[in-house]
Amino acid sequence: MNDLINDLYQEIILDHGREPRNFGECEPYNKSADGHNPLCGDNLKLTFLLNDQNIIEDIKFTGEGCAISLASASLMTEKLKGKKIEVAQEIFKDFTNLVSGSDEDLKVLNEEDSLYALKGVGGFPMRVKCATMAWHAFNQALKD
Amino acid sequence: MDDSKTLNLNVRKDFPILSKKILEKKDLIYFDTAASAQKPNTVIDETNDFYKNHYSNVSRGVHTLSVESTFRYEDARKKVQKFLNARSENEIIFTKSATEGINLVAQTFYEKFMQKGDEVILSLIEHHSNLIPWFFLRDKYGVVLKFANIQPSGEIDIDHFNSLFTNKTKIVSLTHLSNVFGTELNEKAISICKDKNVPILLDGCQSAAHLKIDVQKLGCDFFVFSGHKTYGPAGIGVLYGTENLLSEMPPYQGGGGMIGDVNLEGASYAELPAKYEAGTPPLVEAHGLGIAIDYMNKIGLDNIIEHENEITKYAFNKLNEIDFIEIHGGDNKRNSIISFNIRNVHSHEVSSFLDVEGIAIRAGHHCCQPLMKHLGVNSTARLSFGVYNSLEEVDKFVIALHKCKEFFNK
Repeated sequence: MNDLINDLYQEIILDHGREPRNFGECEPYNKSADGHNPLCGDNLKLTFLLNDQNIIEDIKFTGEGCAISLASASLMTEKLKGKKIEVAQEIFKDFTNLVSGSDEDLKVLNEEDSLYALKGVGGFPMRVKCATMAWHAFNQALKD
Repeated sequence: MDDSKTLNLNVRKDFPILSKKILEKKDLIYFDTAASAQKPNTVIDETNDFYKNHYSNVSRGVHTLSVESTFRYEDARKKVQKFLNARSENEIIFTKSATEGINLVAQTFYEKFMQKGDEVILSLIEHHSNLIPWFFLRDKYGVVLKFANIQPSGEIDIDHFNSLFTNKTKIVSLTHLSNVFGTELNEKAISICKDKNVPILLDGCQSAAHLKIDVQKLGCDFFVFSGHKTYGPAGIGVLYGTENLLSEMPPYQGGGGMIGDVNLEGASYAELPAKYEAGTPPLVEAHGLGIAIDYMNKIGLDNIIEHENEITKYAFNKLNEIDFIEIHGGDNKRNSIISFNIRNVHSHEVSSFLDVEGIAIRAGHHCCQPLMKHLGVNSTARLSFGVYNSLEEVDKFVIALHKCKEFFNK
């Protein structure tokens, strides 16, 4: 099997793509945003609860998409739950650099992170948007 | 594969890009002609030659280069006229794309012939480019849009289509060949329009390179297609319209080249076809399209159609035998296009997997989101064929599909 494909579809991606974690809607939530990839029609709704210490208490998503977009959303919710918003924003920056093949040094993510499994997306430029859709929704929710 | 059946136009050598190795080792199998066709050497060389040896602006100067450029531009129009069997060169308007052609008709037809509350009939299988220009009329002017249903076969439901007409129906716009199903428009739809005396626009983006087009025999009032899907350059499109309608409709854009006489109080407009060609046109691209038409004529449209029908049938039968494949649309006659899904595998995964095998297919909604919603799918994978494809390529594709299914369901 081709290395590129194995890099792209590591076991953890296929697993989260098949069975996304934190799939649903937070009850209650105070932040939300829709993610949409107009090129392919994939979409999601992200909801989360930010408490008064600026910590993400709960975070969930629903939607439909390819394995990459679902796995990325699923891994994102796992990673961000319980994080302070400032930390989450650092992770957002690192993650977008990681999947877009940027040379910039990662500040908070490292090879031990499950999110690192999405690095292979860099070999498929047209799929970067799949991997970042949920993350842009997260960023958008913070702005709204 | 049964060798006795092998059919090949032997034109692969005409397309330099097809010798490219994908990821440095895989032979390219290009199954995405419906998105855009690859270009033969003659088109590439002739457009280069235009820039190197003949280039200037058209219809504006009297010097040698201007004459040479104008000759090539107008010669391309003659080729398109013959290609579509239009009555006159005045009926051939060069645009930048088929999309621009539809926008042109929507805007100028409305201006001349329609008012608030008038109706346009479209269908559920239209490409976004044959939806949004009409949405604009709905949003800006209160035009009412009606959409013909489709049957499970992928064809327009003719009875439902017929039932949509009222005395307020002013124009109909339908795809001639579905870019999702590969199904051809039932000719009855056109004859219904004729009977009711309602003009019909055909979106010929997918049909122009895969069916023999005769606008007079078809009886359509407008026909649009794009250069890049017919082995020509991107950036050039064609709008065919009957001289009656084009003469009555107002100009679309204002600018150089479309005027008769101008003073500060106003202007008169040029005769057809210049009336609709404001600004410097995509002249080199028009010439390239003419060369692409020469290329198709040299192979012969009948040969192209026979070749593509055989591949399409072969691929359809192969895919139909596979239990994990779902084909969209019926088993009726289809031209050069097959949309499908691997059960439980998103079309993106299929496309990325095939990509590293050297196989280019389209994945997504194919600019037909209303249709995807109707089919109850988020996206489909699409195979589409051109003159350069072969049955052997289909065999390789089928093997790769099995590998793909195995990989994602492991």
